[in-house]
Amino acid sequence: MVSDGGWLRGGTGITPQRVCDIRPPTPKMEGHLKVLLLGLLVVASSATYDSINKDLINKKFDRKLDISSQLVKITNKITLENGGSGAVKSFLLAFTKVEKDNLSYLNAQSGGTVLKLAETRVQEHRDLAFFKVELKDALQSGKTVNVEVEIILTQILEPYPAIIQQGEKQLVRYSGNHYILTPYSSNTQTTTVTLPSPNIESYSRLKPTTHTDTSITYGPYEGVAGFSEDSMNVHFENNAPFLTVSRLERVIEVSHWGNIAIEETIDVLHTGAKLKGPFSRYDYQREHNSYSSIKSFKTIMPASAKDVYYRDEIGNISTSHMRVQDDAVELDLRPRFPLFGGWKTHYKIGYNVPSYEYLYSSGDEYILKMRILDHVFDDFTVDELVLKIILPEGVRNIILETPYLVERLPDAKHFTYLDTVGRPVVSVTKKNLVESHIQDFTLHYQFPSILMLQEPLLVVIAFFILFITVIFYVRLDLTLSKDDATEAKMRVSSYCEQVHTHHDKRARLYEKLEEELQKLKTSKDVAQSQTAGFRPAFRAANRTLISCIL
Amino acid sequence: MSGPVLNYRTRGWLRMSVEKQDTLLKMAVLSLAAILCTIYPGLMVTSATIYHILNWLHITIDVRNVCVFLAPFFSSLTTLVTYHLAKELKGPGAGLVAAVMIAIVPGYISRIAIFCMLLTYYMWIKAVKTGTLFWSTMASLAYFYMVSSWGGYVFLINIIPLHVLTLMITGRFSHRVYVAYSTLYVIGTILSMQISFVGFQPVSTSEHMGAFGVFGLCQIHSFVDYVRSRLNKTQFEVLFRAVISTVAVVGVLVLVVLTALGKIAPWTGRFYSLLDPSYAKNNIPIIASVSEHQPTAWSSFYFDLQMLTFMFPVGLYFCFSKLTDENIFIILYGVLSIYFAGVMVRLMLVLAPVMCILSGIAVSSMLSTYMKQIDEVKTEKKKAKFEGNYFMRSEIATFFVCVMSVFLVMYTLHCTWVTSEAYSSPSIVLSARGHDGSRIIFDDFREAYYWLRHNTPEDAKVMSWWDYGYQITAMANRTILVDNNTWNNTHISRVGQAMASTEDKAYEIMRELDVDYVLVIFGGLTGYSSDDINKFLWMVRIGGSTEKGGHIKEHDYYTPAGEFRVDKEGSPTLLNCLMYKMCYYRFGQVYTEGGKPPGYDRVRNVEIGNKDFELDVLEEAYTTEHWIVRIYKVKDLPNRGA
Repeated sequence: MVSDGGWLRGGTGITPQRVCDIRPPTPKMEGHLKVLLLGLLVVASSATYDSINKDLINKKFDRKLDISSQLVKITNKITLENGGSGAVKSFLLAFTKVEKDNLSYLNAQSGGTVLKLAETRVQEHRDLAFFKVELKDALQSGKTVNVEVEIILTQILEPYPAIIQQGEKQLVRYSGNHYILTPYSSNTQTTTVTLPSPNIESYSRLKPTTHTDTSITYGPYEGVAGFSEDSMNVHFENNAPFLTVSRLERVIEVSHWGNIAIEETIDVLHTGAKLKGPFSRYDYQREHNSYSSIKSFKTIMPASAKDVYYRDEIGNISTSHMRVQDDAVELDLRPRFPLFGGWKTHYKIGYNVPSYEYLYSSGDEYILKMRILDHVFDDFTVDELVLKIILPEGVRNIILETPYLVERLPDAKHFTYLDTVGRPVVSVTKKNLVESHIQDFTLHYQFPSILMLQEPLLVVIAFFILFITVIFYVRLDLTLSKDDATEAKMRVSSYCEQVHTHHDKRARLYEKLEEELQKLKTSKDVAQSQTAGFRPAFRAANRTLISCIL
Repeated sequence: MSGPVLNYRTRGWLRMSVEKQDTLLKMAVLSLAAILCTIYPGLMVTSATIYHILNWLHITIDVRNVCVFLAPFFSSLTTLVTYHLAKELKGPGAGLVAAVMIAIVPGYISRIAIFCMLLTYYMWIKAVKTGTLFWSTMASLAYFYMVSSWGGYVFLINIIPLHVLTLMITGRFSHRVYVAYSTLYVIGTILSMQISFVGFQPVSTSEHMGAFGVFGLCQIHSFVDYVRSRLNKTQFEVLFRAVISTVAVVGVLVLVVLTALGKIAPWTGRFYSLLDPSYAKNNIPIIASVSEHQPTAWSSFYFDLQMLTFMFPVGLYFCFSKLTDENIFIILYGVLSIYFAGVMVRLMLVLAPVMCILSGIAVSSMLSTYMKQIDEVKTEKKKAKFEGNYFMRSEIATFFVCVMSVFLVMYTLHCTWVTSEAYSSPSIVLSARGHDGSRIIFDDFREAYYWLRHNTPEDAKVMSWWDYGYQITAMANRTILVDNNTWNNTHISRVGQAMASTEDKAYEIMRELDVDYVLVIFGGLTGYSSDDINKFLWMVRIGGSTEKGGHIKEHDYYTPAGEFRVDKEGSPTLLNCLMYKMCYYRFGQVYTEGGKPPGYDRVRNVEIGNKDFELDVLEEAYTTEHWIVRIYKVKDLPNRGA
């Protein structure tokens, strides 16, 4: 679990180093079929049997068992020695069936290099599951190598009792093995169990066992044969949130206009001890004794996230706070009601991020690099993830690469505003994920940039057609027969209007004439008035008017 | 809130396939079937059509959003229709003023049905004016749409015949009116009978009898007109008197006999309460309990209509001063609706449009009169000198126009203020100011409904008072017993009885109704005053109003002094009934206000009377953060021998 925090808070768009290292050399292959090095690989088709190499010896095997949250995080430090004569290329990891079924994440590395993993079977141990780890360099005879294996199991911790009352503390039981399950004999084995609190109901003992405040150490056990078993039980108080995301649907909608919209639809179930009997608000408020209930949790989003919303089927959820920090946006989500064991809720979170941080292009070639899933809350576990990537209309040659194996669902089409042929939707699904699965996928595709103009043109043409239709409609006369009555009416009204304007003109002329006469009366200058030429003009105008009216 | 939500729910129903409907029907027999039987399908069909058209164009809008935005969309259409209606009555000027007024009037906010009503009026006036079959048929189609979207169509089917009757009495009856009304009545009635829940009502209930009678009168009137044109005056007089008296006597007899035989359903309670405001209060508590059915206070007239209240008589004056067929209609509509609005607050909706139209006519008539004076003064200065009977004509005209403008500006300010303050806050999210002035949001309703939605079995049945029925169905997606649309008195009464009984009696009722959860609204902690305790007397009255609720007597819930109290003085019946116990369960330990004893109710401002009690048949399932919603689970029957 060393680098988890780093991944989360690492700048957006920065791929963890190891993912880069292991990118396969031929990106043309279908991503979901590819066997990648990292993470859990379930390759059922390669059903060949492996045999156990008796030459290998675990010189030292340290197991750290962290059961302080709802997950079981196991870190194994193995010093492997080749006691045989020939070089050894690989070794096996063994799991019980229960562990295998709840195995969420498995990673092995040696000296900073991630090792290749493949599931395999062993003829003599049909009831166990095995993973084959390919060593980087073949282990020569008598040499040792240090390997670190990281395992995350979900739903192994069992609430016991399974039903509690509101004020009771949540007790949890872990059942395992005092010895570490390994095919090889071990010289020294040590197991350290980390607990959330010093309150332990009971724990099984196998000497030497030491119990300090919040940890129990089993061992060191010397000279343990392969496949040794001795059942271990730890019954302890664990009030950490037992919150499972039963379904997470993540929709990434890419726009080439500079925006990527992300929406996550999340179903959350409290998988801790179920609440028995009434829920009393009075006790909840006054006594603060509801240990296992969950009031709120934190979601971390990329630093560039904006327009964040938090809502459900019945509208905005008014109880959330957002803190913008340098490297991330922290959303303090409070469900509408506190979650007790067995209660569930459902909500949506959405935000926008600028596309330049995730979308790279050269010519018509594009690469989208984003997280397959993002942080939901600390130590979360997702039962089922569905990731949908909606690409712009006209995208071709889509190639998806994922850092671990996912199941690709058939491509679909998504229709929204101004779409004609539909946007391609790439969907993948995967079960049982944890925080360590927050890794980037890479999506290659081609998009002719001329198609960027398609939608604006569509709008322009639509409006053009609309206006043209209106223009034609207004000017078109589709009447078959002439309506004489209305025609005559219109003609008469137009005549009336003409007469009216002429009459006005005439009245004005008369007014002028009157003024002129008035002037004439006062000045008595007949000649001047005649030379002014007003009279003939008046007469001419009058004549045309009269003719027009008649 | 409830309008669009209900529309959304039932619209979803329409979209579902038949098989799916079957399963859903089983799940939600009580609630959805009840909604389906009483709800008017017009709006659902409209929103479904819009939704499908938009999605066909790849405009991906959620059904819910279509339903929500349908109302504002129709409001804008209402403005257009109002313009045309007022234009027909007075002219484009009046139309514009009326349209501007209805665009912002607070009394009418986003009701789709009002659009249908005004559209029908517009078509009707067009039909009366032109006397063509085309407009009459359009009017009947508009009427059909109105019938399919709102039960208020009864108002419409009474006012149009009344208009025709008035025209007859005033001697204005003509062939135009004859064509218009006969077409509207025949086509409109046949169309309206196609809607399942209207069925045969148009020919069997007394609300529709007026329209039928006027239809008959129309035929007689035109027949008489025909006869008159053929006979001389004295012959006609004799014939006329004989026929009229016979017809009147026979008609009344037939009506009485049919009503007595029960062929014509007596007028429904809601309609009686329109005519006689005290009817409902005395006879049907369920009608009187709705705040929308209370008589309107004078202040709320002013609050909702402002200057329209004063402009209304002025508009009437202008209509009377130049009587036409259309003006008579608008006068009738105005006078009737102001009477009805006085009876029920809810009918303010019907009043608001006609107020706007009449005020539009008034304002535009006055303004055009006075504006002319201002204009003419400039061009004809000479004449003004001789017309001495108008003193300071232009100044007064200018002054008047200024005053009018001030009125209009005030109206705008008032309307925007009222709409933003009183009608825009969602009733589902409450807010208050904290001590430091910060805003506190009480989102308790949604908290509870969402809890119900995700943490109860899908087939759980919830009992609550019917006010919250729509909300629970829509937000919690659970079956409820009674909702806002339930007019089945016995069912609501049964719930009232359960709430008002003691725990044991209530348990019997709840088992009978197959209830899993009970939900109450309690404001004692926050001071939210419209909670169930304040509504409780209505539950008692409604519960006691039916046969089965004989044991519930209203006076048992009062103190000997006749008061309704929840403190120590309160009646023991009240302090031990189910509603009291559910509201105050464990409230006796809570300190609500400084300096007051625990269990101090902040709504009633008393310390509650019964503090230490346990619930036997219920257990607290959920209580929201501010205790506004409390949900209880009905315990299973105790095991035998336990």
